[in-house]
Amino acid sequence: MNAGRRWSALAAPALGLATFALAIVLIQGLIEAGRINRFIVPLPTQIAASFGRVIAEENVLGRFLLTAGEALAAGVLLTLVGIGLGVLLYRFRLLRLACETWVAALASAPLVLMYPLFLVIFGRSAMTMVMIGFVAALPPVILKTVEGLAGTRRVLIDVGRSFKLSQAQQFWKILFPAALPSMFVGIRLGLIFALINIVGVEFLINFGGLGQLINELAERYDLPGTYAAICFVVLVSVCFFAVTGCVERWLRPAD
Amino acid sequence: MAETGRLTRSPAFAAGNPVLLLRVGLIGAALAIWQAVSVSGLLFRDVVPSLAAIAGALGRLLLDAGFYGHLGTTGFEILVALVIGGLSGLVVGLALGGNRLLGKAFEPYLYYLGPTPKIIFFPVMIMWFGVGPGSKVAMGVISCFFPIALSTAAGMRQIDRVLIRVGRSFRANIWQMVSKIYLPAMREPIVNGVRLGLGVAVIGTLLAETKLSNKGVGFLVINSYSTFDMPRMYALLTVVFVIAIGVNALVSRFAAGRAQAKS
Amino acid sequence: MASATVLSDRAGDAAPRMKAADPILVVEDIVKRFDTPDGALTAIDRVSFDVAPGEFLAVIGPSGCGKSTLFNVIGGLLDGYQGRVTVGGETVRGPHSAIGMVFQEESTFPWRTVIENVAFPLEIAGVAKAERLERARHFVALVGLAGFERRYPAELSGGMRQRVSMARTLASEPKILLMDEPFAALDEQTRLLLGDKVLQIQQELKQTTLLITHNITEAVQLSDRVLVMTYRPGRLKRVVSIDLPRPRTSQIVSSDAFGHYVAQIWSDLREEATRGMQDAEALSLHAGAAR
Repeated sequence: MNAGRRWSALAAPALGLATFALAIVLIQGLIEAGRINRFIVPLPTQIAASFGRVIAEENVLGRFLLTAGEALAAGVLLTLVGIGLGVLLYRFRLLRLACETWVAALASAPLVLMYPLFLVIFGRSAMTMVMIGFVAALPPVILKTVEGLAGTRRVLIDVGRSFKLSQAQQFWKILFPAALPSMFVGIRLGLIFALINIVGVEFLINFGGLGQLINELAERYDLPGTYAAICFVVLVSVCFFAVTGCVERWLRPAD
Repeated sequence: MAETGRLTRSPAFAAGNPVLLLRVGLIGAALAIWQAVSVSGLLFRDVVPSLAAIAGALGRLLLDAGFYGHLGTTGFEILVALVIGGLSGLVVGLALGGNRLLGKAFEPYLYYLGPTPKIIFFPVMIMWFGVGPGSKVAMGVISCFFPIALSTAAGMRQIDRVLIRVGRSFRANIWQMVSKIYLPAMREPIVNGVRLGLGVAVIGTLLAETKLSNKGVGFLVINSYSTFDMPRMYALLTVVFVIAIGVNALVSRFAAGRAQAKS
Repeated sequence: MASATVLSDRAGDAAPRMKAADPILVVEDIVKRFDTPDGALTAIDRVSFDVAPGEFLAVIGPSGCGKSTLFNVIGGLLDGYQGRVTVGGETVRGPHSAIGMVFQEESTFPWRTVIENVAFPLEIAGVAKAERLERARHFVALVGLAGFERRYPAELSGGMRQRVSMARTLASEPKILLMDEPFAALDEQTRLLLGDKVLQIQQELKQTTLLITHNITEAVQLSDRVLVMTYRPGRLKRVVSIDLPRPRTSQIVSSDAFGHYVAQIWSDLREEATRGMQDAEALSLHAGAAR
């Protein structure tokens, strides 16, 4: 019976992979048969072949490090400023009542559209990317911080009061630790948003690391290379998402 | 349970006047700082134009018939993207949420592909759909497909099982099950997914327009940049933000209103 | 053998105070009202009693009798009431350092280990790290959790977590231990065993304890006196002196005397509990009709 259960647990991922593989084979066949224009969709085999070429010729590692560095810098800013502002909003109730909805509204606004503005201010530099990543990803960090602090269980606050904690002690010893899980969720969300926006803007302004690579290959009409680069960036993004998810789960064992 | 008498440090506020005053105060202060920076020449010229310049540009913009043409183009692209992406997301979400095997097989792909920067697919979209509105719509579609599909799938799994058994016991066919049981029961997750989808569709479409277009609001923004018409850029950004936030607020009101009516 | 003093439950009569030699806690004429949408609600109406040093006092009553309100008033977490609470002569005007509180809900800090939880009040008081961990270890052992110092609350059962909360409060060495239904969420057998633990602790520390509970068995098992409250508005209906020999264990629940005490308290409580139940039913009928 155990073997049966193991088998069925594998069935679903197998189905997914099989479908994916089948789709690729199908596309390969259709292109070779001339049903799909090979100048619009290159042969999957060609794409696979160009992976090696792109990695060797285009300094993919250096680009990756650049993009990662920008995301990291944005992440540090996000953490410091986002949590700081979140604490501020929580501490001053009137401020929170006035501004929380504004922050929530900004979370849904196309902040990244301001990138030309940042271009003007910071020029064609990594700084532009860092600032865009920072600004576009700030709202979720602030909101999650406030949510975590405000959601502290009432009884824990009462314990603090019963021990006659000062306001500062109450904050650092009870509210802040209780809110940490929520803050981590916010930081992770922020990092993901930041990476998305950073790669996107690198592509748009043709400067920087991985995003720029795609743009460059596209402008050179290197079709297989462009597709390969896109796949690579998607892979990086997926890994980033998965790793930060693991870190978050590791940091929140109680949940 | 009434909480009067609780020893708390912050006094009870009547929501309304103090909040309003603070908001007005904050906006006023921000505008004042802006104007001061603009006049002082701290940042190089025109990066921070005076409020008057921006107001002027805003006025000219809103009075320009051409602007509305661009607005219409963008709006149309977003709407079509939402319809296509929304419907396909809905269908895929229903399928993945309703069938355990399908869900386990394919949903991880959606989950992990969701948070990737879709704009990088734009060169491919151009090749497939041309340089016109088609590629912009395509960008919007792939942007909003993922959140809507994922929300719908999650919503399907959260439906109270007993409601499904009721439908089956009355021998409802698949179409009736979807329209009379699944969709009404999932109103909230679907609306949330659509809200999220709207947000990313707007971003995807606008960014695509900034990259390669000769029409639309995104085009206007990048055009202002290349002609270094900063007041116009600020005016455009203001209009975009006001509309985006306004639409989001409307959708939220709609969702909240329906939820209230239900209870 | 039960010796009980019947207190008048007619409205308007001042309840005669129980005279004890040099009481450590004095509760005088507490009246607490709440404003609700349906008008003013009197939760506690002229409750007075004394607690002698080293005494274990239980306050029992049906749901809705204002027990938790009384807990919060004595603990200093609630204000806006008439009357006075004094500890060792000092009036209580907020959480008092001589009163330690153990709450009904899950209240351990999930991000701290057991030993760090218990050392918390010592940390606040500024005790050096090595010393406070040493002192905390003593209280962790006292509640029977020796060996679990490095575990996190999530790894413990509900009963163990409540013991951690209790150890934490005991570590602040309060003159009066104030507990609000600390075992309410636990099953009966665990309650009896933890009751044993509490008896041991109280024996060893000679700790003055005030326990709020709705469980008659628990009240009789643990206390020297049981104060029975009426349904809302809460007043003292009866004080029952529990003359069972100490040291006690949970074995006592099978004795005849125990059974008599329980029966006596239940006959008082039953009347109040019935009123409470009728009230609740009337309320839901009313709510249903309004819809």
